[in-house]
Amino acid sequence: MKNTDINTNQEYKYGFTTEIENIRAPKGLNENSIKFISKMKKEPKWMLDWRLKAYSRLKNLKEPNWQKPKYPKINYQDLYYYSAPKSASKKPKSLDEVDPKLLETYKKLGIPLNEQKKLAGVAVDAVFDSVSVATTYKKELTKKGIIFCSISEAIQKHPDLVKKYIGSVIPITDHYFATLNSAVFTDGSFVYIPPNVRCPMELSTYFRINASETGQFERTLIIADKGSYVSYLEGCTAPMRDENQLHAANVELIALDDAEIKYSTVQNWYPGDKDGVGGIYNFVTKRGACRGKNSKISWTQVETGSAITWKYPSCILQGDNSVGEFYSIAITNNHQKADTGTKMIHLGKNTKSKIISKGISAGKADNTYRGLVDISRKAKNSRNYTQCDSLLMGNKCGAHTVPYIKNKNSSSTVEHEATTSKINDEQLYYCNQRGLNQEEAVSLIVNGFCKEVLQQLPMEFAVEAQKLVGISLEGSVG
Amino acid sequence: MIENFKIDSNEIDKLKHINNDDKNFRIENLNSFNNTGFPSKKDEDWKFSDTKAIFSKNFRKLNLNNSNSKETDIKLIKDFDHNYMFLVNGKLIKSDFKFEDKSQIKISNYYEEKFSEKKSENPFICLNHALSNNGYYLEIKEGYKFEKVLVIYNLFTKDLSGQILNNKNKIVIKKNSELHTINYTINRSKNKFINNSYESTLLFENSKYKNICIQAGKSDGYFLKFSNNKLKSDSNFSSFIFSSGLKFYKQDINVDLEGENSECDIKAALFLDNDEHQEIKTKINHLVPNCKSYQKIKNVLDSEGKGIYQGKIYVKDIAQKTNAYQLSKALLLNDNSEFNSKPELEIYADDVKCSHGSTSGSVDENSIHYLMTRGLTKREAIQLLINGFLNEIISEIKSSSIRKFVENKIELQIHGY
Repeated sequence: MKNTDINTNQEYKYGFTTEIENIRAPKGLNENSIKFISKMKKEPKWMLDWRLKAYSRLKNLKEPNWQKPKYPKINYQDLYYYSAPKSASKKPKSLDEVDPKLLETYKKLGIPLNEQKKLAGVAVDAVFDSVSVATTYKKELTKKGIIFCSISEAIQKHPDLVKKYIGSVIPITDHYFATLNSAVFTDGSFVYIPPNVRCPMELSTYFRINASETGQFERTLIIADKGSYVSYLEGCTAPMRDENQLHAANVELIALDDAEIKYSTVQNWYPGDKDGVGGIYNFVTKRGACRGKNSKISWTQVETGSAITWKYPSCILQGDNSVGEFYSIAITNNHQKADTGTKMIHLGKNTKSKIISKGISAGKADNTYRGLVDISRKAKNSRNYTQCDSLLMGNKCGAHTVPYIKNKNSSSTVEHEATTSKINDEQLYYCNQRGLNQEEAVSLIVNGFCKEVLQQLPMEFAVEAQKLVGISLEGSVG
Repeated sequence: MIENFKIDSNEIDKLKHINNDDKNFRIENLNSFNNTGFPSKKDEDWKFSDTKAIFSKNFRKLNLNNSNSKETDIKLIKDFDHNYMFLVNGKLIKSDFKFEDKSQIKISNYYEEKFSEKKSENPFICLNHALSNNGYYLEIKEGYKFEKVLVIYNLFTKDLSGQILNNKNKIVIKKNSELHTINYTINRSKNKFINNSYESTLLFENSKYKNICIQAGKSDGYFLKFSNNKLKSDSNFSSFIFSSGLKFYKQDINVDLEGENSECDIKAALFLDNDEHQEIKTKINHLVPNCKSYQKIKNVLDSEGKGIYQGKIYVKDIAQKTNAYQLSKALLLNDNSEFNSKPELEIYADDVKCSHGSTSGSVDENSIHYLMTRGLTKREAIQLLINGFLNEIISEIKSSSIRKFVENKIELQIHGY
């Protein structure tokens, strides 16, 4: 898997008449490049103004430096902020050109050949086309009134919805990376579920046309109107070939009265090699607002990739009786660093939240759970339960827990528990005795450790994720 | 004013008993305090205790004047036999070790001993290093076990108003020795002042140190205490904190478990009301294998009381077979009260057992109901439950006379509820 420098490709060609495949924004972060992005996407003026507002705010912001994983300084002026889909000539022509190690992993995950091609970024020929599958799905969704398209499309076709909700959960005045995203986001998904509709299938970026190449600044907006339900899948279990080093995505979820959103992520981007060279920085802002009464947002994540993962999917529980859930598995190996967790902000009465976090560290990796539970004065009868367990393999890695717990309400209850330990030798011995080798045994025990979270994933995903857990830890024991 | 509180370097010249080496160290620390000022919520360690805001709200002016008070009369505790040391505004006035072999004890003013301290990031420690001019040095020689408890009376005199007092203490317990102290604070000042103390203890092999921290009554003083404890192998450190009644208290406890099989034990039972703000911050560093640490912090919070617990367990990569436990529990009796906690684990060794728990909530309705069916009023029922909640800590004091003394003090607090 190569992590090609995006700057080495080609220079910006002045004039906009060239073929779309060759167009790039001028290098660097400035008003012109933002205007360029907006123009290329044929955005209305309000969108451009919104981006520029974010940018002017960004100029006064500093990059945060409190988080545990440190990374080399990013030169924001040295990046391209817009590049149209890369032409087929730049991609590997067939699977023979792809890193054999990657193919081996695909095999272990049991991914069909055609899918492998797509994942590895092989230029897909016209014969193989998953698009047809997608279009059938799309018909069914349209029948129910569900909008599922790219955010650029939504800005043009459903401006009212976008205008109303974008930035309402992650305002442009948020932290550095979120604001950066607001200024320069290129694409992402948009989902709107109309009132009282239960989305008949799991929505996944995978089935969306032109879903690939959304770029490093992805923006997702999901709105579940009154009484609706949607389950959304992001990413996939297979390692993704990616050319960008910095990923700063924003995901906003909005659940109105009695609505429920289930958001599942499996992230397996390139973690860098064994010595920690290369790899992706995954700095994502994910936030959901339970705006209506009895609404529910549930985050499930399996984080195994990226050199540095830094994300805190959060729930703002505004509506009375709303529920927020966070289930997470973070696996780090070699030199990977993960700093992840959640924020549960209880504002409404009778709000409930549950946090289950499982961190596994091996090699020389660092794994941190960082979370906030904040029960405000008005959130009567609220409840939170937090459990974060860490598993360590070897004494070169680290596991850390940094929970912040604030309770300002006497009728609310907050419970937090955390444990750190290693794999029990007796369990390993027992498995070995029953004929499992060391790696199989570890994989089995770790899967047991993660079971509570894996159960939350949609069926097919769960099976793949289980295999992934095993693969991620290969070579870490023995 | 207070936001930009700075100290002139000629304050250092006013101090007695300092030599040139010492002076440079003090100036260096003073400069670093002047650069940062009082820490605010922007500093991670002070997130929940924003001293900048608290001090500017409560003080119009701060000064470094020494008190000239001649007050020295105090009532000694009659509940149990004890040795005592008597400090007035941090200054050692008198000591009495009538139950002990005096040849085994060394006691002096702190400035008579050489203190070598490292530079610190904490502005209050810098301030202390720069200006501390009072305090004691206590050393217990090898193989001596105290017969009776040592009570350290801390008297703060009537005339205090707007001062920042800086004092520094050190306790050294040599091999196979044992010491049990009670820090007993008596505050006579009705005005506000700040007491900033820095304490270090050094426990040699197989020694034991037990400390109880408690006060005579309510107090409007603002107390900050940083304690730095180093434990050699097989030594045992235990600390009980019953500091209810202080308007503001931040106790910052650092424990370095440097020798194998050393143990540390920190327990607190607090009842905070009337705008009291107290924080217990701990950092337990497991630096070698086979050490144990145990923390249990209990808070009961009533009208606008604010309790904070920031606990950190650090386990170094070589510190295998570590056993570390941390628990904080809070009862919130009132919607204006608040409990914040940050129980943190930072672990680099794999063969360890580390866990923490933190809960906060109201008094259990079912239990109240049960007690009321047995004929108690609601108020009595709640009092009984609070008592039971805090008693779990108090009951771990071994000496029955001291336990009774502490129980009485705490009960007085709860009856106010």
